[in-house]
Parts: sequence; structure tokens; C-alpha cells
Amino acid sequence: MASKFDLTPRIAPNLDRHLVFPLLEFLQERGLYPEEDILKAKIELLNHTNMVDYAMDIHKSLYRSDDVPQDMIDRRAEVVGRLKVLEDGAAPLIGFLQNPQAVQELRADKQYNLQMLNERYQIGPEQIDALYDYAKFQFECGNYSGAADYLHQYRALCTNNDKSLSALWGKLAAEVLMQNWDIALEELNHLKEIIDSKNFSSPLNQVQNRIWLMHWSLFIFFNHDNGRTQIIDLFNQDKYLSAIQTNAPHLLRYLATAFIVNKRRRPQFKEFIKVIQPEQYSHDDPITEFLACIYVNYDFDGAQKKMRECEEAILNDPFLGKRIEEGNFTTVPLRDEFLENARLFIFETYCRIHQRIDMGVLAEKLNLNYEEAERWIVNLIRTSKLEARIDSKLGTIIMEPNDTNVYEQLINHTTALSNRTYKIVHQLLENAPAQTAR
Amino acid sequence: MASRFWTQGDSDTEEEESDYDEQEDNVAVETTTATAASRYYSGNASDSDDSDGQKRVVRRVKDKRFDELSATVDQMKNAMKINDWVSLQESFEKINKQLGKVMRVTESDKPPNLYIKALVMLEDFLNQALANKEAKKKMSSSNAKALNSMKQKLKKNNKLYEDMINQCREKPELFEEKVEEQESEDDVESDTSEYPDNLESEESDDEEETGNDAETGSGWEKMLSKKDKMMDKQFKDPSQITWDTVNKKFKEIVAARGKKGTGKMELVEQLTFLTRVAKTPAQKLEILFSVVSAQFDVNPSLSGHMPINVWKQCVQNMLAILDILTQYSNIVVDDMVEPDENETQKGADFSGTIRIWGNLVAFLEKVDVEYFKSLQVIDPHTREYVERLKDEPLFLVLAQNVQEYLEKVGDTKGASKVALKRVELVYYKPQEVYDAMKKLAELDSGDAESGEEKVQEIRGPTAFVATPELVPRKPTFPENSRALIDILVSLIYKYGDERTKARAMLCDIYHHAIFDEFSTSRDLLLMSHLQDNVQHMDISTQILFNRAMSQLGLCAFRAGLVLEAHSCLSELYSAGRVKELLAQGVSQSRYHEKTPEQERLERRRQMPYHMHINLEFLEAVHLACAMLLEVPNMAANVHDAKRKVISKNFRRLLEMSERQTFTGPPENVRDHVMAATRALRHGDFDKAFTVIKSLDVWRLLRNKDSVLEMLKAKIKEEALRTYLFTYSSAYDSLSLDHLSKMFDLSDAETRSIVSKMMINEELHASWDQPTGCIVFHDVEHTRLQALAFHLTEKVTVLAETNERAMEARFGGGGMEGLPLRRKDGQDYAGAAASGGGGGRWQEFSFNQNRQGSSGGRGGYTISGRASAPGLASSGFSRDRQARLGRAYHTGSGARGGQSDGSARMVNLNRGVRT
Repeated sequence: MASKFDLTPRIAPNLDRHLVFPLLEFLQERGLYPEEDILKAKIELLNHTNMVDYAMDIHKSLYRSDDVPQDMIDRRAEVVGRLKVLEDGAAPLIGFLQNPQAVQELRADKQYNLQMLNERYQIGPEQIDALYDYAKFQFECGNYSGAADYLHQYRALCTNNDKSLSALWGKLAAEVLMQNWDIALEELNHLKEIIDSKNFSSPLNQVQNRIWLMHWSLFIFFNHDNGRTQIIDLFNQDKYLSAIQTNAPHLLRYLATAFIVNKRRRPQFKEFIKVIQPEQYSHDDPITEFLACIYVNYDFDGAQKKMRECEEAILNDPFLGKRIEEGNFTTVPLRDEFLENARLFIFETYCRIHQRIDMGVLAEKLNLNYEEAERWIVNLIRTSKLEARIDSKLGTIIMEPNDTNVYEQLINHTTALSNRTYKIVHQLLENAPAQTAR
Repeated sequence: MASRFWTQGDSDTEEEESDYDEQEDNVAVETTTATAASRYYSGNASDSDDSDGQKRVVRRVKDKRFDELSATVDQMKNAMKINDWVSLQESFEKINKQLGKVMRVTESDKPPNLYIKALVMLEDFLNQALANKEAKKKMSSSNAKALNSMKQKLKKNNKLYEDMINQCREKPELFEEKVEEQESEDDVESDTSEYPDNLESEESDDEEETGNDAETGSGWEKMLSKKDKMMDKQFKDPSQITWDTVNKKFKEIVAARGKKGTGKMELVEQLTFLTRVAKTPAQKLEILFSVVSAQFDVNPSLSGHMPINVWKQCVQNMLAILDILTQYSNIVVDDMVEPDENETQKGADFSGTIRIWGNLVAFLEKVDVEYFKSLQVIDPHTREYVERLKDEPLFLVLAQNVQEYLEKVGDTKGASKVALKRVELVYYKPQEVYDAMKKLAELDSGDAESGEEKVQEIRGPTAFVATPELVPRKPTFPENSRALIDILVSLIYKYGDERTKARAMLCDIYHHAIFDEFSTSRDLLLMSHLQDNVQHMDISTQILFNRAMSQLGLCAFRAGLVLEAHSCLSELYSAGRVKELLAQGVSQSRYHEKTPEQERLERRRQMPYHMHINLEFLEAVHLACAMLLEVPNMAANVHDAKRKVISKNFRRLLEMSERQTFTGPPENVRDHVMAATRALRHGDFDKAFTVIKSLDVWRLLRNKDSVLEMLKAKIKEEALRTYLFTYSSAYDSLSLDHLSKMFDLSDAETRSIVSKMMINEELHASWDQPTGCIVFHDVEHTRLQALAFHLTEKVTVLAETNERAMEARFGGGGMEGLPLRRKDGQDYAGAAASGGGGGRWQEFSFNQNRQGSSGGRGGYTISGRASAPGLASSGFSRDRQARLGRAYHTGSGARGGQSDGSARMVNLNRGVRT
């Protein structure tokens, strides 16, 4: 079953409740699981948030009735009541913040601001904390934009480090849910700095935070234009990579995909292959297995099979399988890119160890027909990505041997020497007078 | 004639003597009884006159002997009066010795009447004592014991003199006369009885001076035994005992501890008696603590172990301590503060906290050490060893209870220490052994308990402070050992100190390795950074580290990870001191003699037999791995074999076996592997495998078949590689079919292996896909080219030397170094492409990479990279370099630096994992 490759159960625990929603939506759409189960899962999720109305709707569609259980109604009343209380608590500060003139008076200096607020508007720490609670409550209710605003303002005023951090997380979640990828990315980087900073509480905590950060960042990276490079930059850092290896090997899928799709990160790619190899025991994933097939076992038939699995996995992955609607077509851009690059990978490696290849076999290996394969190869040769010739009579490709000339090597070894010697002499001469003068 | 017998064996073997004695007597008694008796009378009477005055007078030897004899008899009488069987027993033995001397002096073959009389008296008294059941019950345990042994001894002894005894009974007056005389004198002397008593105990024959000198020494013993008697008397009546008397007695006994001449067992017994009469729970506790420490004192030497029955009693006492502690939760055990003098006076109903001096953890550790030592000393091939092993659950239950108590009290540090002790008893057990232990514990502890109970009941008066058995006497075990270890280990990681954590981590690694979880176990090792700083730890931890490493190696081998297995094990074998490194025996070193001191130390840290890792198996695995790696490696670098050596140990063995003019059939592990190596070098994988398979150590493997299957596959693969390395130059092309058939591999496998070699530039060839052939490229350098490469290499070295010389001269090279290095890196790129030519650069830049990366990078990434083919050995062995010198000579400490966050990492990873 396709759900074999579904990572949602492993990802979900590392996300905020609200962030799991898009995943569930996606799963619902794909129809991997029975509709009923997903709806139940949604209600389960909502039970702990304040989005009671939404929960009621789902409940109705799940049981196809208009009856709503009593506890939901009770909960609704409670939520509304609490909202009132919090609103009252935060009212002075919100009032202040909504007054553009008053906001003008704020300066960059936090201490000054606090003092000013306290003196002129009688807004003390309690009110500021109330703002935080209110923002959190708003977030729980699904009012993300409000929450994001409040949290932003809260951060400007608060002095408590821990709370400031959680406010930042909240802001990130809100931005992600509102799909403001640019802002979210900024927040992400901000958060990363804080986490990496030395004075973070305990190493254990730090690792856990990194794991969360990486999970949350998936939303951003696979939606942001430049995300695929950035995901490599983030995940491939030693600290983050080791966090992945210890606690979340399933994230390797995303890193692997990013590497395959991204052509600009080849040097790191080699290193990454070495990471994949020992991690296979802890996690089997078609995409990492695909890489292992090509670069570790040189099993091209296996790679080909894996490629099909990869396609399936990508389509069913909430992050990778993002659809774009163009008129009547829906395409999954990442899938196409992935397949193209994967093909290239196979071919490249294949060519490296072959002298002569039958076009028919190659076409088959690349999941293309003969004509397409020929066109594809001709293209590669033309763009001088491949040093080869096609023997169309026999239907084979002949590789040009690429052994470097021995003389060339010798020259390579020695050219630097003269330069170095020259430098030494130069240095010697420079220093010599100074020495003799003494 | 008869006297010769006496002179020969006067004191040592009484039994034998008596046999002769009997024969002689049978003849002699009939004829000479009457006369002899009278003769003794006269003699005796005369010297008794002398004796009552001053002691300085020189007397005849004979008289002196009689003197002694009679004095002993007096002593016995005294002992009888106070019902003290312990001293009675001593006197009895003494009198038997003296008898021999008397007989020698008097040159007669008949025991003196005095002696016979004493025997009669003793017998009567014994019968009387045995008849009186009430009195017997009240006796202290030591006294009762003495009574029992006395009964037996007397029976045996009296048989010899049966006739005379009967005679005596019939005609007491014949013997009586003298005794009366004796007794009258006795009365006079009785005031000062203590003095002569002491003299008697002295055995020196002629010098009274020495007797006086030694008086003080032996005096102690006597006094104590007297006190013992007194104690019995004193405490006979329960109503009279007060806290004060007990406390006084207790202080007195404790003061005697450790002084010369204090009987250690005696001390224990006295204290045990006191525990029974203790008035308050706190007092009982205090005394129990002393009992336990007195029990530890019983065995004075460091190398010997505590007698096993004492050990068991000790464990029971500890359990009793815990009982009290659980019952009276207001009692606090502490070894930091000196408690108040009268702290223990507070009774059971006192509600405030009562402080008692003591350290449960230290006691428990000591109990563990004694257990460990006993296993070290006992010959593992005897039943005794097995019996001793069965005591393990007893200790486990104690440890469990102590841990629970400490956790309850909130002493997490102590609890983690105790938890470590438990881990150390379990970590090396595979599931089967664990199950067996569990079963044993469930089955056995019930019986043992009831037996123990009975013993306690017999021992003496019922205790004043009765404590019910609150703590469970049966250990509880989770279903599998993993669960147990997990619980304990996570406790330790949370609260333990550095050493405890490190040890627990090693045990954890070991245990994972036993259970074939190589990756978990390796991750733990790498994350904990233990390799980096293990050389700063104590030797026993280092041994544990070595054990864990070797187990990890075995685990890797079972999982088919030859390279990893080799890098784990090679270090152990590099110096040829495996036994020493694993503490499984002492290896003789030719080059440096050990001092006896060193040897003793080494003996003390030996592992008990049941914890051993089979050395033969270890060697087989190590050599097999070395073979698999080294054979193709040698084939690849035929021309400069010295350059790249994977296993020095293996190379040396191979050289040795090649030097032999005649190679016989393989006998030991080494021979087998060498024979296999010879076959493998010719590409004969079948023979190689058969030879390896014939090793009988493989039967130790749990999944033998699958491992051997794996081994076979590996051998095939390496054979193929070796073949290609060796013969590729002779071929222009080779067909895939042919190769697959030759090495009995599937096409896909062959293709994969060959492709890998091509990619890694080990083999200069490429596939011709339509025909399924390997086409070899001719890239071998000609002689001239090779020389040219050498030349450039040397020139580069020269340039480098110049630069370095410059740096040294002008010191301005700091910034120069950097660009130079980079250039080397570039060279490497070119060199790698050329294959063989750039070997040295390759190595050089490898080093550089390693140095660069080892600094800031977190431990885990090393693992990630380490396990990739090229770097793996560096990953493992880099960190293990230092172990070579480190093994026992700790101080050298070549590598420091990285020791910082290790413990934190330990904590971290475990926490995340669970």
C-alpha cells in the first residue's frame, strides 16, 4: 500500500497541533486512509485547541448528523468565556498598540519603553504577560494573523527569555499557517540563531529544539522559491545532521530529495552519501535507498525499481507532492524535477563504468523509449555534459576514455613547485638584509 | 620404647598418637595400674608443696609438667562452675597437649591419674549439661557450639582411656586422695586465679619469663571470653537489661575491635548477640552496622575473600538493617555527621529523626567486592564455583532493596551507584543466562529463606526489638534483561557521577552488542566520546572498555561488518597482550619482568571465569576479518606492499608462516587462518572457506549457519577482488559470465563488486555492455613514468622542507602554512585521478582532513562519516590510537582536549532515546 511511505505519523509528533492540519488535509485529499479515520484524527486534534466551531463541523460531517455532543457545547461556552477574560486583561495594552500615535512614542530601547508604558499608561508586566496569553489564545482559536501581530508586539516588549522564545515559535507557526513564507523564513533564521547560541539551556533541549525547527522548516522550504538550497544549508550542518541521525532519520528523505533536485550542491552530496549508508538500518525510505543503489551498490536495476517507488512516495508526501494547478492540469513540479535528475544520476554513474552501452538497454534503464533516449543523450553530448559518441548503426554509445595523461599529471604536480620556490627565494631575500643588519 | 613415640609427636597429631597409646595401654594397664598410680601420687604431692610458694624456684622438669597439668584442671573446674564451654574446650585441648609432655617426662606409658580424673569429671558435667535442656537454650551461640564440639571430642578421646575411666568410677578413692589435696590448695589460690590462668595459657615449656611477657597479649583473649560469660550472665534476665548496659557493652566490644589478639569471629558473635538484646530499634541498627563491618574484618588480606557463610550472614544482616530502616522511617543513616552519643536511646515511639552513623552504599559495594573476589579465587571448574554463582540473586535482592530504600530517601547519587552494581551483574548475560538466573532466583530464594529463618531461631534468646521482614527477600526481574538494564541505566545517566555514568555506558554498549544491536551500540560508544577519555579513567574501567570494544567487534562480525569488526579488534591484538587487556589471565612478557607487586595487582583485577570472552573465538574473528581486508589489499599493492598495511599483526603472522619450510596441517586458530589466506591469495575461495569453517570455535555462535553463510559470501567477494587485482594485467577483457561462474556469484553481485572497484579506481577497466565484458585499460605506468612520479614526489618534499626551514629560521611562516596546505589538497585531486601515483599525498591530505574535522565537530558526525569505506578505519582507530600505550600505563595521556562535553552527551543521547 502506498501509505507505507507515509511519514505523517513520524513527523506529526514534532509539529504544533495546528501545523498537523495541512498534513491531514493533504492525506484526506490523497485518500490514502479511510476518510473516517482522518476526520476522527482531526477532531482529536481540535479537542485540544479552541477551534470548537470547526470541530463541530467536522463532527457533523463525520457522523452525518446535526447533533453535537454536549461536551463540545460546554467547551465552546468555556472558550468564549475565557476569551473575554483574556481580552479584558490585555485590553489596555492592545488599546495602546492600536493607537498609532502612541506607538510612535516607542523607541528601540526596551527599558525605556517599559518605563514609559508603566509611567504614562499604567501598563506593567502583568498587562504584557496578558498580551502573551491573549495571543496564544487567539492562536488556539485559529486567528493566526491576530496572534502573529500580538506576538510580534509582545516580543518587542517582553524581557523574559523563555517566553520570548515561545512567542517566536508561536509567530513562526502562525506565519507558516498563513503561508507567509518570506516572513516565516526570517523568523526561522532568527529562531535558529537563538537555538545555536551558546547559552541555550541543556544540550538535550537544544537537540530537541533543532529537531522541531527542522520539522517546521519543511513547510517553508518546500514552498519557498529558494527553499531547496536552504534546506541543504540548514540540514547539512554538522549539528543538525547529527540531530537528524540520532532522532529523526526520516528527515533524511527531504534532504536527499533536495540534493537530488539541486544541482549546485554536488560537493556536499558526496559526503551525504556517506551519511546515508550507515543510517539505512534505522530507516528505510525509497529515496535514500535509491541513492544507496546508485552510489553504494551500483545496482542499476534496483535503482530503477526504487525510482518508481520514489515517484509514489513523492506524490504521497505532503511536502514534496505539492500540486500546482495550471488550467486543467495538475502537475507536481517536484516529481518531474526529481525524475529528471534521478535519471541523470543513473546515467552518469552508468557511463562512468562503461565503455560501450546499448541504446535499447539504456532507454529501458532510464524509463524512456528508444527515440527519447537518443534525443536525451544527443542533448547531453551537445551541451558537453557527456563525452561520448553514438554509433547509430550498432545502436550503441561509445564513451571517450577520460584517463588523464601521465605527462599532464606530472606537469600538474610540478607546476606549483616553481612558484613556491620563487616565493621562498623572494622571502629569503627580503629577510636576509634584516638578519645581516642585526 | 614407648617414650620414643611420645617424643616424636608430642603435640601435632593427637589421633595417631592415641592409636599407639591404646595398644600400649592394653598391655600396661593390667599390670601396673596400682603401683604407677601410687608413684604419681607421691611425686605429685611433693612438688605441690613447692609450687604454692614463689614461682621463681627452679623445679624439676617433671614437677613443672605436673604443675601445669593440675593448673589446667583447675581452670577446667572454674569453667565448669560458670558453665563456659568455650574456655572449657580450650582447656581440654591444652590438657591433652600437656599430657603428652608429662608422659614424656615421666617416661611412662600411662596417663596420670589427674588426667583421668579430669576426664571423668568432664564427662559427668557434659552429661549433666546435655540433660539440662533449659540451660542449653539460654547459652550464647558460641557457647552452644563449643558444647557440641566438646561432646564429640570427649567421646572420641575417652574411648582411649576407657578402662582407666571405668576403674576410676569404680574406685574413686584411689584417685580421689590426691584430688582433694589439690582442691584444698586450689581454694587458697582461687583469689588470684586469674593470674595462673594466664600463665597456663602460655605454652612455653621452660621459660617462665616469656610467659610473663606474653601475658598481656593472651590476657585479652581470656578477658574477653570471660566477658562473654559475664555477658551471658548479665543478660540472662531480660528484665534487668537497660539501654545503658547494652550501650556500655557495645562500646566495650567495639573498642576491642582491631586490637591485637581480638578474635574476629568472636567479635562478630558477641555483637550478634547484642543485636538481640538491643533495647531500641536505633540501637539495634547501630549494633547491626558494627556487626556488618566486623564481618568485613574477618578476612584481613586483600587478595583472599571473605568466608562464604560469613558473606551470607552479612547479606542477611544488611537485609535486617533495611527492615529496620523501612519500619522506622524516622531513622536516618548518615556518615557525614558524628551522631549524638545518646541518639540511639530514643525508642521506637520517638517521632523525630534519629541519626545513625553508617553508609549503606559503601557496605553494599564492599559486599559486592567480596563476592567478586570469591569468584576470582575459587577454581571455576569446581562445584563450589557453581554454588557460589547461585548466590548472585541473593546479592541482587539486597542491591535492589538498598536502591529502593535510597530512592525513597532521596539519595539518588547513592542509588545510582547501587544501580551500577546491579548493572554490572547483568550486563554480560545473554538472554538465556538471564532467564536461567531469573528462574533460579524464583525457585531458590524461597527455600533459602526458610532455612535461614531456622538458623536464626536456634541462635539465641529472642530479640527485644523484633523487626518483621519488610523488604522483599526475592529479587524481581523484568521479562528480559534489556528492560532491566534500560531502567537502571537511565537512572544512572540521570543521577550518577562521571565514573558511574561511564561504566554504565560501557555496560550498556556491551549489552547491546551481545544482543546483536551493532548500530545502537556503536552510536552509544561514539556519542559518549568514551574512546577519547577512557585512558584517563581507572584501570578497571579501561578493562571494561576493552571488553565492550571486543564485544562490539564480535557483534559487528556477526552482522557482517568486517571492516568495523576489524577496527574494533585490531587495537586489542596490536600488542599481543589480549589476555592482559581483557583481564582474563596473565600474559608473560619476554621483555620486561613484572615485579611481584605488579603481578598481585594484576591478579586482583582479573575477571571471574564466567564473565570471560572466549579468546579463541575472538582471535578467530579478528584474524578472519584481517584476512578479508588484507589479502585484496596486498594484491592491490604488490609493488610497494609496505606502504599500506591494514593489520600489522596479520602481516607479521603471515610472514612467519611463509618463512616456514614446511607447513603442516593447521592446528590452532592462527594456522587455520594462515592456511585460508594462502588459498585466498590464489583465488581459491572454496578451500579458504572450508579451512575457516573447520574451526570449531564457530560453534559458540548462536546463529552459526547464517554467520558462516555471510563469511562465505565475503570470502567469495574478496577472492574475486584479489583475483582481479592480481591477474587483471594479464587480460585484455574478461567476460562477466566467466567471472561469475568462477567465483560462484550471481551476475548482479559480480557486476556490483566490479563496478565498485571501477568507481573507486582500484581497477582500471570499464564495462562493455553489449557483450557483457570487462575491458581493461592499459594505464600501468612504464618504469620511466613511475620513476618520474617518484622524482616529482621527492622534489615536492624538498620544497616543503625548504619552506619549513624558512619558517623555522624567520618564524614568519604562520601564515605561510595555510596556502601550502591548500596546494597539497589540490595536488591530491590530481593524484587521486592518477591512481597509484599519488599515494603519499593521498595519505597526507587524509591526515589533514582528520585533523581539521576532529576539532569542533560533534561526536556523532564522526560516526556518519567513519562508517564510509574510505574513512572508517580512521574514525575508529583515530580515537583509539592512544589506547595502545594507554592500556595500563595511564599517565602518558597523549590526547586530552576533547574530554569536555562528553558526559553531557551521554546524558543527552540516552534521554532522547528513551
